Amino acid sequence: MIKDITQKPLLELKKLTISYRSRSQTRPVLRNVDLSLHRGEILGLIGESGAGKSTVGNAIIGLLAPEFVQTSGSILFEGRALEGMDEQERDALRSRRIAAIFQDHTMSLDPLMSIGAQLTEAIRAACPDLSGKQTRGRAIELLTRVGIESPSERYHSYPHQLSGGQRQRVVIAIALSGTPDIIVADEPTSALDATIQKQILQLLRELVAETGVSIILVTHDMGVISEIADTVVVMRDGNVVEHGSTATLLDHPVEPYTRDLLAAVPRLRISSGKRTDPTFAVVNNASADDEEPAKRAAILVVSGVTKAFGRTSFGWSRKPRKPALQDISLELKPGAITGIVGESGSGKSTIGRIIAGLETACEGEIVIDGTRVDVASRRQPGGMLGRVQMIFQDPAMSLNPRLPIGDTLAESVRFGSAPSTDARLAISVIMDRLGLPMTFLTRYPHQLSGGQKQRVCIARALLAKPRIIVADEPTSALDVSVQAEIVELLGQAVSQEGISMLFISHDLALVQALCSSIYIFQNGSVVDGGSPEFIFGRSTNAYTRCLIDARPERFTI
Amino acid sequence: MLSIFTRRVSQALLLLLVMSLIGFVGIHSVGNPVFNVVNIETATVEDIRNATIALGLDQPLWRQYFLFMGNVVTGDFGTSYVYHLPAFKLLLSKLPATLELAVIAMALAAPGGVLLGLWAGRHQGGAADRAILRGSVLALSIPSFWLSMMLILGGALLTGWFPSGGRGATLSFAGQDWSVLTLDGLRHVFLPALALALPNVALIARLARAGTIEVERQDFIRFCRAKGLSSKRILFRHTLPNISIPLVTIIGMQFGGMLAFAVVVETIFAWPGIGKLLIDSIQFLDRPVVMATLTFISVAFIALNAVVDLLYAVLDPRVRLST
Repeated sequence: MIKDITQKPLLELKKLTISYRSRSQTRPVLRNVDLSLHRGEILGLIGESGAGKSTVGNAIIGLLAPEFVQTSGSILFEGRALEGMDEQERDALRSRRIAAIFQDHTMSLDPLMSIGAQLTEAIRAACPDLSGKQTRGRAIELLTRVGIESPSERYHSYPHQLSGGQRQRVVIAIALSGTPDIIVADEPTSALDATIQKQILQLLRELVAETGVSIILVTHDMGVISEIADTVVVMRDGNVVEHGSTATLLDHPVEPYTRDLLAAVPRLRISSGKRTDPTFAVVNNASADDEEPAKRAAILVVSGVTKAFGRTSFGWSRKPRKPALQDISLELKPGAITGIVGESGSGKSTIGRIIAGLETACEGEIVIDGTRVDVASRRQPGGMLGRVQMIFQDPAMSLNPRLPIGDTLAESVRFGSAPSTDARLAISVIMDRLGLPMTFLTRYPHQLSGGQKQRVCIARALLAKPRIIVADEPTSALDVSVQAEIVELLGQAVSQEGISMLFISHDLALVQALCSSIYIFQNGSVVDGGSPEFIFGRSTNAYTRCLIDARPERFTI
Repeated sequence: MLSIFTRRVSQALLLLLVMSLIGFVGIHSVGNPVFNVVNIETATVEDIRNATIALGLDQPLWRQYFLFMGNVVTGDFGTSYVYHLPAFKLLLSKLPATLELAVIAMALAAPGGVLLGLWAGRHQGGAADRAILRGSVLALSIPSFWLSMMLILGGALLTGWFPSGGRGATLSFAGQDWSVLTLDGLRHVFLPALALALPNVALIARLARAGTIEVERQDFIRFCRAKGLSSKRILFRHTLPNISIPLVTIIGMQFGGMLAFAVVVETIFAWPGIGKLLIDSIQFLDRPVVMATLTFISVAFIALNAVVDLLYAVLDPRVRLST
């Protein structure tokens, strides 16, 4: 950290106010935001969705959508006001001085252009007088720097041929192409697995130490902040709530909002397996008597399930890909929550979808509540419909946008496993239990917040009177503070309705708090499994240890 | 790779077979072509019987079909009942006119439509965008015959810039007559080509506009701007390739349509193309010519589809390099 506070700041925001302007209204999205960034500093900008943190990032890069208008205040870069510059100066600033990294590595690269070409066009924009050979040399150098193996071969690759981590490295290489002073990184690791996230953060930190670049890190993830930020600015509803050095702010938060944010982050416990986190008290009570369900026969038995994807498109047949699932066997006890943990591509979602009957498998056997289901066909025997319900990751995508909430829920009652005679009564009971007002019945999904939508999804699943709920990352699209509520509701549902749940997640802390047994997935196989006490305390499996180590230390107890 | 090829060829052959069956039975059920061959005023019963036997129409339908298919395999579609020329040769003589009209029309429509669409999409909601959108609705809803007549009125009768019909001077090349090889021919082809092109400009522009709006909203375009690229470079090097797949599809299909069904424009501009040949032949129940033309149209569509599929692979590395 080569940072000198006495030095003049590189970038300053002074009373920055930005408004969203539409035909009908003008609404401020940032109010009097002050912040300053020094050379070589990593500034974390944290807040929940709608806090305005991305707007700050976009304003600094100069990529605000036209509806966003800077109404007052100023952004000073090396003492010069950005808003006073013309478009040409901003372009030059973007290519050479202020770079950006975006969240979604699958989307930040042009899918039709080789990564070498995308990198060289950025270098050419920054240094137009380099020769073709020099440009290429610089591109290879940058690829090497960000840790791409065999860069001269990778130079000709297209984005889809790279893994997520490699793509994000290429994005960083492009950001570095003009040797910038500031990199605005908007959720640079949110779409990556924990182990990859750790490597990318490590790379960013090295770059700061080597080149003296400053980074503005926009994120919702306290873990990321705790790993690399020097200073933190907490934002809420367009205002700066609190700011200070990372260590001080995390250990001694002053504002109640900051404290709430910190408290909502699930913590991983390594030393003892005893789960006493007060946040999940309800859940803990429900699964405290581990002994009893263990004696009962499993409600779900999966044995030897194997699946391979073979894709065909445009009439060009493709070779079958490597198996997505290999010989998966697992069990779910009645009334229990079983966790499935793995990184993207591990097959954890695929097995969930197969159990729910949404996808087929090539081989294997699934027995649900004593009935064997045909894994090769999507058709379920009569009466199986609705016995397994799913809750998906993104509630905004899993509700029909044109259907009022009431109709969505009524559908569940009508086609569920135990059609109820009085749908209205059943719906009102569930709505009441999930804390949803009855007025929502006539609303449409877009009128609800993310947390409310996910509650509707839970209600939809419960109304079908299922025996098993498969919850596939049900909280990862939600803000931390909402996450805790949803987890609590899921726990209650299991204890009150006598349902069993398969909880699929990449978040170890969440799984630890919620589940009575855990399976670890890697590359389509189960590599480890057992009680949370075993997994987090005594397991010697190398991959399990690796996953645990990838957790930010600050939130591990 | 080979198996894909053989599968596609066999699919194409099956398609041709089904098409020939439908065409054959269809034209048979429309009416008896004999009455178009003999002079209905003067012919005796004897004449009609002789003509029927001479055309092979006394045989049962299934035998007529097998005889016809047997001849087709040897490349013979039979002799036109009306023109008394081999049907295939007749088709070939109309081919240059159709090809040059369709190619020129598409050469006007594709770049014009794409550029207008990119422009409108980039300036979504602006005055240019609104004008292009309204213009495209107009161009798509104007009937082709009216558009053709207005073009004749404006481009030929009032101003005298272009001739109002016919193919003009032609030059012989590869055994056929081509208008595009002479200046006079080019002047003749312009108005009909424009009449064919305008609705297509509108169609392509709308598609390109929708694609541009969708693609420019994506993160990689924002990232390109963050890289400091000029907006012109982003538009042509990043947006255009990314909207090209639906464009290539629609251009391929519309081109096929121009080859086959440009009959209104061809009729109004007295342009002796394949569309006009097909309609005339159906009217005269000239079965050999109808069958030859339908076969040509099917083959053209199959070939265009194959070209479009190949272009997908050229344009999109995800199709080309499946890992």
